[in-house]
Amino acid sequence: MIKTIAKPSERKVTGCGECRSTCQSACKTSCTVGNQSCERITREERPDRESK
Amino acid sequence: MIHVFNYKKNHYIYDTGSASLHECDEKTAAYLNAVLAGEKPALSEDDVKQIRSDVETLEGEGLLNAPEPSAYPVKSNEVKALCIHICHDCNLRCRYCFADEGAYHSSREFMSEKTAKQAIDFLIKNSGNRKVLEADFFGGEPLMCLDTIKNVVAYAREQGEKYGKKFLFTTTTNGVLLNDDAADFFNREMENVVLSLDGRPEVHDAIRKTVNGKGSFDVCFKNIKKFVQSRGDKSYYVRGTFTAKNLDFSNDVMFLAESGFDSISMEPVVTDIPDLQIKKEHLPRICEEYEVLCEKYLDAYKNGRGFNFFHFNIDLEGGPCLSKRVSACGAGNEYFSVVPNGDIYPCHQFAGNRDFYMGNVYEGALDAGIRSRFASSCLFTREKCGGCFAKFICSGGCSANNYNFTGNIEQPYEITCAMMKKRIECAMHILAEKKKLAAGR
Repeated sequence: MIKTIAKPSERKVTGCGECRSTCQSACKTSCTVGNQSCERITREERPDRESK
Repeated sequence: MIHVFNYKKNHYIYDTGSASLHECDEKTAAYLNAVLAGEKPALSEDDVKQIRSDVETLEGEGLLNAPEPSAYPVKSNEVKALCIHICHDCNLRCRYCFADEGAYHSSREFMSEKTAKQAIDFLIKNSGNRKVLEADFFGGEPLMCLDTIKNVVAYAREQGEKYGKKFLFTTTTNGVLLNDDAADFFNREMENVVLSLDGRPEVHDAIRKTVNGKGSFDVCFKNIKKFVQSRGDKSYYVRGTFTAKNLDFSNDVMFLAESGFDSISMEPVVTDIPDLQIKKEHLPRICEEYEVLCEKYLDAYKNGRGFNFFHFNIDLEGGPCLSKRVSACGAGNEYFSVVPNGDIYPCHQFAGNRDFYMGNVYEGALDAGIRSRFASSCLFTREKCGGCFAKFICSGGCSANNYNFTGNIEQPYEITCAMMKKRIECAMHILAEKKKLAAGR
């Protein structure tokens, strides 16, 4: 049995650069892009979700 | 590439190529692990047949063993962010400070308003078509220069209006001087505020001392707590550091959560001080502690007291685009730090290292060689990352961290990698558990 938990949504835009710099988000030592959301998707498609 | 891992009794498959996460039963995990190891699975023919069928279905949907992207991203040379070292002085003397207790291995100094404004001009001038620019005020302790920050923010807003740029500001502070005036200003102007607090009073006080050698917990906690209460829904992080002295750091995270902070980050120390440094022998204990924290985090979530822990955030559905995943933080190419005299470095962790001096905001030009070195560095140039399941999540690690520990921005540091991979597995388990809860299972 294999059950899919999550898969990426289709991307209309990539590389727009509108997201915040990774290093500005929280830690300034070991931040990773994986901790971030695409701010464009968050803003345009899922406004209910936080983008912290 | 697939990564099969267990989290307690749960079995997961993460497909690196498609960035999709699956849960499976024990037999499927055993089958996949055997295949990955080049061994014959110790399963019945019927089981193998069923599992192969499941795998082929997902492969057909592009969600398992999917091809990995290998294209090199075209990098912009527009500057998007600056870390402005508004002062190289601090009102605390934290033992583990990577910045030499605020002085950055040089003299204690403050950035003039003129230089800070010049840094804003530099950012605007080099930002090309970018509309959203970021500046974070960093130190030392930025609140020792609050008036300068206020004037620079006002200047940036004015210039932003003139040139069609929107500024997002961040400040990192230890909270000692975080009074009502600073709080009001931050709440008006700062998109994000990073607040340094290490957790339990005794843990914080053992490291984060005043210039007189006394613990700073009481004043920091009181000010930060009051500030966060005034913050409303605006972004902040209470950011702690753990060292070899508090490998039970889940207690510090929970102390912060139970104190009412709902946005928390807890980072492994970056230091070579022997009694504080994270060493290889600490890794099993640290990985165990991340699992302990994961359980506490989920318990709090299930009991309606959930909080945001930075390293357990993972957005597999709407996460960063490939370009971002491959090019990471942008240090040295689209993100720079500016120190008090206006000198420019690839990021705050390189500040003061003359091997990485890139220019000065008054001169404007950036060292093309260093910039090219950072611009051409990406996930695909970090050879050691090629076989790692986490590569599109961590982007090959922090260049400064890599350099500090291995002497090469392209060479990831194994201890950092091990912690990163454990946190990612915990984050994936949390994601799965939250989905089950949302589905009412």
